[in-house]
Amino acid sequence: MLLSLFPQNDFSLIAVILGMPLLGAFINGVWGKRLGKDAVRLMALSAIAISFVAALLTVSALYGAATATEAAHGGHAEHVKLSWLAWEWMHTTGGRETNVPIDLKFSVDTLSATMMLVITGVGFLIHLYASSYMEKDKAYWRFFCYLNLFIFSMLLLILGDNLPVLFVGWEGVGLCSYLLIGFWYGKTPNASAGKKAFIANRIGDFGLICAMFLLVHYTGALDWAGIENGAGSLVTTAKNTRIHLWPIGGGEFVGRLAFLQPHHPVTISAATAVGLALLLGCTGKSAQLPLYVWLPDAMAGPTPVSALIHAATMVTAGIYLVCRMSFVFVLSPFVMVLIACIGAATALFAATIALVQNDIKKVLAYSTVSQLGFMFMGVGVGAFTAGFFHVLTHAFFKACLFLGAGSVIHAMHARVHDDEKSQDMRFMGGLRKHMPYTFWTFTFATLAIIGFPLTSGFFSKDEILFRAWVNHPVSPYAERVSTLSKGHLHLYEPPTWIGPTLYFVGLAAATLTAFYMCRLLFLTFFGEFRGWTIGRPSALLGLAQSKHAGGHDAHGADAHDDDDDDHHHQEDLSTPGYAPHESPWQMTVPLMILAALSLFAGFLNPSVFKETLHLENLPLDKWLDPVFDEAAKGSVKVADNAHHIELYLTLGAFAAFAVGSYLAYWMYIQKKGEPAKQLAESAGALYRGALNKWYVDEIYEATIINGTDALADTAASFDQTVVDGIIARLTSLIVAALGTILRTVQNGVVHVYAAVMVVGIAALGFFFVVPHPDAIVTEKNGDYVLEAAPGYGYGYRWFPDATGKPLNEIFNGETKLTLHPQAGKTITAKLEVVNAFGLTRAKEFTVERPADPDKNMKLGQNP
Amino acid sequence: MSAADSKHDNTPDAGPATSAPNAWVVPSITILVLFAVLTAILFFVNRGDIIGLAAPVVVPAIVAALIPQKHGWRVRLPLAIFAGLAVIFVSRMMPAVAVDATDVAEIPKEPKTLLSWLLALPLLGAVAVLFMPRQAHKTLQWTTLGIMLVTLAVSLPLMSITWGRGYHLNQDIPWIESESLHFSIHYHVAIDGISFWLVMLTTFITPIATYASFGSINSRIKDWCFALLLLEGGMLGAFISMDLFLFYVFWEVMLIPMYVMIGVWGGTNRIKSAIKFFLYTMFGSLMMLAAILYLAYTFGKAAPGGMTSFDYFELQRLVLPRHIQIWLFGAFALSFLIKVPMWPVHTWLPDAHTEAPTAGSVILAAVMLKMGTYGYLRFCVGLFPEASGEYGATLAGVAVLGGILYGALCAWKQDDVKRLVAYSSVAHLGYVMLGIFAATQASMEGAVLQMVNHGISTGALFLLVGVVYDRRHTRQLADFGGLAKTMPVYATMFVIATLASIGLPGTNGFVGEFMIITGTFVSNKLGHVAGIQSVGAAIGVILGALYMLTAVQKMFFGPITKSENKHVSDINGRELIAVAPLIIMIFVIGLFPNIFLSGMRDAVSRVASDYSARLEPAPAMNQRYLTGPIVLNPRSSDAPPAYVKPDPAAAKADPAAANGEAKQ
Repeated sequence: MLLSLFPQNDFSLIAVILGMPLLGAFINGVWGKRLGKDAVRLMALSAIAISFVAALLTVSALYGAATATEAAHGGHAEHVKLSWLAWEWMHTTGGRETNVPIDLKFSVDTLSATMMLVITGVGFLIHLYASSYMEKDKAYWRFFCYLNLFIFSMLLLILGDNLPVLFVGWEGVGLCSYLLIGFWYGKTPNASAGKKAFIANRIGDFGLICAMFLLVHYTGALDWAGIENGAGSLVTTAKNTRIHLWPIGGGEFVGRLAFLQPHHPVTISAATAVGLALLLGCTGKSAQLPLYVWLPDAMAGPTPVSALIHAATMVTAGIYLVCRMSFVFVLSPFVMVLIACIGAATALFAATIALVQNDIKKVLAYSTVSQLGFMFMGVGVGAFTAGFFHVLTHAFFKACLFLGAGSVIHAMHARVHDDEKSQDMRFMGGLRKHMPYTFWTFTFATLAIIGFPLTSGFFSKDEILFRAWVNHPVSPYAERVSTLSKGHLHLYEPPTWIGPTLYFVGLAAATLTAFYMCRLLFLTFFGEFRGWTIGRPSALLGLAQSKHAGGHDAHGADAHDDDDDDHHHQEDLSTPGYAPHESPWQMTVPLMILAALSLFAGFLNPSVFKETLHLENLPLDKWLDPVFDEAAKGSVKVADNAHHIELYLTLGAFAAFAVGSYLAYWMYIQKKGEPAKQLAESAGALYRGALNKWYVDEIYEATIINGTDALADTAASFDQTVVDGIIARLTSLIVAALGTILRTVQNGVVHVYAAVMVVGIAALGFFFVVPHPDAIVTEKNGDYVLEAAPGYGYGYRWFPDATGKPLNEIFNGETKLTLHPQAGKTITAKLEVVNAFGLTRAKEFTVERPADPDKNMKLGQNP
Repeated sequence: MSAADSKHDNTPDAGPATSAPNAWVVPSITILVLFAVLTAILFFVNRGDIIGLAAPVVVPAIVAALIPQKHGWRVRLPLAIFAGLAVIFVSRMMPAVAVDATDVAEIPKEPKTLLSWLLALPLLGAVAVLFMPRQAHKTLQWTTLGIMLVTLAVSLPLMSITWGRGYHLNQDIPWIESESLHFSIHYHVAIDGISFWLVMLTTFITPIATYASFGSINSRIKDWCFALLLLEGGMLGAFISMDLFLFYVFWEVMLIPMYVMIGVWGGTNRIKSAIKFFLYTMFGSLMMLAAILYLAYTFGKAAPGGMTSFDYFELQRLVLPRHIQIWLFGAFALSFLIKVPMWPVHTWLPDAHTEAPTAGSVILAAVMLKMGTYGYLRFCVGLFPEASGEYGATLAGVAVLGGILYGALCAWKQDDVKRLVAYSSVAHLGYVMLGIFAATQASMEGAVLQMVNHGISTGALFLLVGVVYDRRHTRQLADFGGLAKTMPVYATMFVIATLASIGLPGTNGFVGEFMIITGTFVSNKLGHVAGIQSVGAAIGVILGALYMLTAVQKMFFGPITKSENKHVSDINGRELIAVAPLIIMIFVIGLFPNIFLSGMRDAVSRVASDYSARLEPAPAMNQRYLTGPIVLNPRSSDAPPAYVKPDPAAAKADPAAANGEAKQ
């Protein structure tokens, strides 16, 4: 029914999905301050709610269309899209001077539909949560304006039918992230964190731009269907169509630089280049090594922002892009393996940092980075559905965790009125009793993330680890390329040990995940509440010192007081203060929904039981398969013994969960955290390293940032001194010096002027006294005419041959001489001039007639 | 920053006290109604007709209603009108997806003398201003603005022209002629799809700059108005001249008022900067004059009648050997590249911008720099294609390294906001030049669009810097900080202009940069280095964010450290009106670039194909040049009909023949 209202290729319901958040942002942004908080809340929430309903309708329409097409194709699932063209945007030029139109076109397929539901659904819950969380903020309207704008940009990213439209959303979410991280812009660290996020993302965007021009050149299209059609031309065998890395662009070093010329030019295929460029973009947006550094700092934003942008939606855009462009990535096994390795490395690396952080949001931030690593690992081994499944479950449990943390911070803040301390787990503990809803939901989400059997995280993480072992990315074009190039060109094939390595690294990261998440849970909700000590001067002092010694450098600041009121809460230092309290329903209801989803969303794709329970067609698999169909063809070799080892691999994942969580239980519940302290002391260097994030920020600061800085300083001073110095100041100096010299002549003394005048007249006189023989040579049809320059009282005498006799013995008024040399011969003639004083001078002229009569003659040259 | 970060409500913030049970009923009903209306509109987006009819009325109404009541109707009305005009512009100019055959057949009549009117209005206006009393400040100001608005209105009919490959509104009248000396200079003006947008940019930006200057220029108002009008006339003239002598005259005419504007109304070092500006430009233009004369003389020697010509289309027929062409190309290119400015002759720009008054900076950045890029595109590429091809790749390297990257790095290290924006201009014009050197369809369209974009976003930035300068009398970044709190509307505007400048998608900057970068990569004019130059240009995107966001952070975010910044008043009505059209255009170009691209497409394709036609036959650089005697090609089929001396008898018999084809 919906499809009759909105045809499949003109599905303008998308306009509503996109338009509502934009409208909300617009009205809240422009009117918000005058509308008051209630109206702002209503506006923001209803915009997202309508969008969500429209998204649900779209999904149902898509389902209808998909089943209809499947039936039409005899049970074979096809890639179905609902698309809508807003207007024609711009165009560019493709590789063969073709016009490549770029339209503002949107489309929904099963992949984007799933993301769309998450964005609007989870987005709505977080909006609801934020409506209470941000209650006391003066810039309430501004917050919701940005938040709605974010949803709009994210939807743009997901729904765009071509890479540039995706890029609009891609940069748009970056902008919203920038604005929201720096939401309390009055504090310098927040503003700096926002800037850092934007610039780190821009480095990724640079990659995306490079990918776009490569794609335009090689495939001649930027929309998904066009790229897919032209993807074959990315795998090129001809030397001249490969990307030459060295010598850059495919030139050749000659002369003195010849030593730089390599034996064989270093080239990569266009598919690898595009993959690498896209990967750079994805690492920036999805906070992977080496560009992850912005995400932990981004926790400076309000907590709902961390939940929505920096956990559930925006940071998964990188994985979305890999899934979306899967048909390009699979063409380069090298890039695929690189993605998987980056993912595994990030997962482990971030988990080690998360082990020792004390700021509750920092732990969650590093956990997000680590989980994103898992997703990368999944898509990197060609298990796109598995990777994307983790995006889905992660959106639920991580949003729940962040919102739970927000609830805790909210409670703590009401108690301590200090931004940093209200996030510090060392002041928490025992909150289980004070905030039961938060505790239970937080626990469920923790169970999901650490992979407790049958929770959502268990299924999705297990699938990724399994696939990492058994999947082996290969190029679908490997054989064709090898035959075409007669065995010259060998496409990269990853080594066989890579799969098990990825698995074990993933397993280690999963163990650490279980440990630090349980540590977080136990420190926050179990034991005794340690927050009472805050406010007592002695305790405060002691903690401050210990904190200082630890070098803890938390930028995280989650404040409820707007930047305007800088008044400090005068704390009553003598009494313990109020107990932490449970949050209002607007905050707990989203928590409950998300916790439920974290527990049960796993049954969308319980692939572990596929064999044992004989499940045909897992729901998510079936739903997403058409999207990845094209990419899956021949791009992955699955190990033969996959079915046999699946159970063992699953047991491994379970062991990771069990070991990690038991260790945390032993350390923080049974021994009350003593072993942790001892460990920190005995392995001091390691502990400090992890606490300080392995000094990566400092290393970047010292190398890249300072390097760029120094380069810029050099450029600026070079500009001032050398460029301006030579072109402006040196020339003006020369002119001024000349002026100074000439000025001495212009001294106003009449005698000097008269003397100079006499010299001048004498010079002129000399010029007139001496005759000046000269002639202009013109050529016509091989006749060379010499015409002597005129002069007062001159008489001329011509010598057709310089050494011979003159034409006339006496000087006469004959000013012309005509010569006719043979082709290819030269003649030298002489002109003698006498003037009124009887002085004579002579000059010789050589005319040369070129051998080829068509060629232009050379002008006569003076001897 | 949302568009409304800004809105100053005089009532205290709606805290818990004001949110009485009923306080939200009315606004929420309003919202729901609005929701319904806008949903309906969204549904009808595809039908088109509703948008076309209702939006020009609805949008201004909404805008007028939205602006805080603090600003009276004198601010709200103009802003509403701007919004309405923008909607009309978009809905009318949006290129139709499919054109009916009947529409094509009907070619509207073009007003033949429109360009002369366009040129005469500001120039005559300048003369008229001289006869007005010096003391009548208001009259002088409003007369000047009125003349400029009339000029803008006169330029509007240009938008109805269907721009093809050729030139329009051709007007060719002998100006200085001598039969015996074989010497002829014509008053020859014409316009094509490329210069059209630059003319529109000029007539659009100049009134804005003028209006903005009313608050800050308080001395010698008569001279100021005269200079502005003369400047506008000069700029318009340079864009439409098709006679090189005439072009040179206008090229110099616009130099003088700008020199005076910097020297008289500028900052503390104004004299030095003005002289620097003048000398740099003059050095280049004298070279160009010599080259123009040599070119005309060479044409005279080669032409059958021996008649010298300064006419662009005639001179375009000349095919010159290498040893002549490179010198002439060098002279022209030097003149234009100084004006652009390109490294290493760019150092006059930061000085001139820093010292120039706000309106001067705006016009200098928005229009005068485009003279260089436009000149290169039209004259260097058009007259010396082989030489342009030979040096294009090298110059593109200079544009990337010296412009995009070096300019951006320098911008990052500036302490003075105006200097920073000036260096950012060097970087942005590096993109434009790169697009021209790459010479593919997309890169050249991107370059022309980026000329307009830079005019709008950098013009807005200079205007906004002027706003804060008028209040604080400093432009040092260190003197600001935390201004977002005291000047929220201003901060919003500034951030929008910044985002346009760093090329955020959805704003105008992105479209231009994107087209240039993708167009450059596919270029075959740059040899092996096209790839690395595209990558370099893409790196410029990162650096752009770096320097602009650093400046924004230093100006607006963080705590207020200086007590002077605590009580700075926000942007006022006049400034808001001045900057609003630019902000609107940022989004109009960003979202509907096809309006602009469709106008220039064929003209750009003409330039690109003419250029390629001369370069492509021979792959090696030195084989492209002519080796024999100078050749005259037939006149280009896209050129307007050549001038024919009217024969009185024939003219009487058949008036149409006077404009007919010339057969030589």
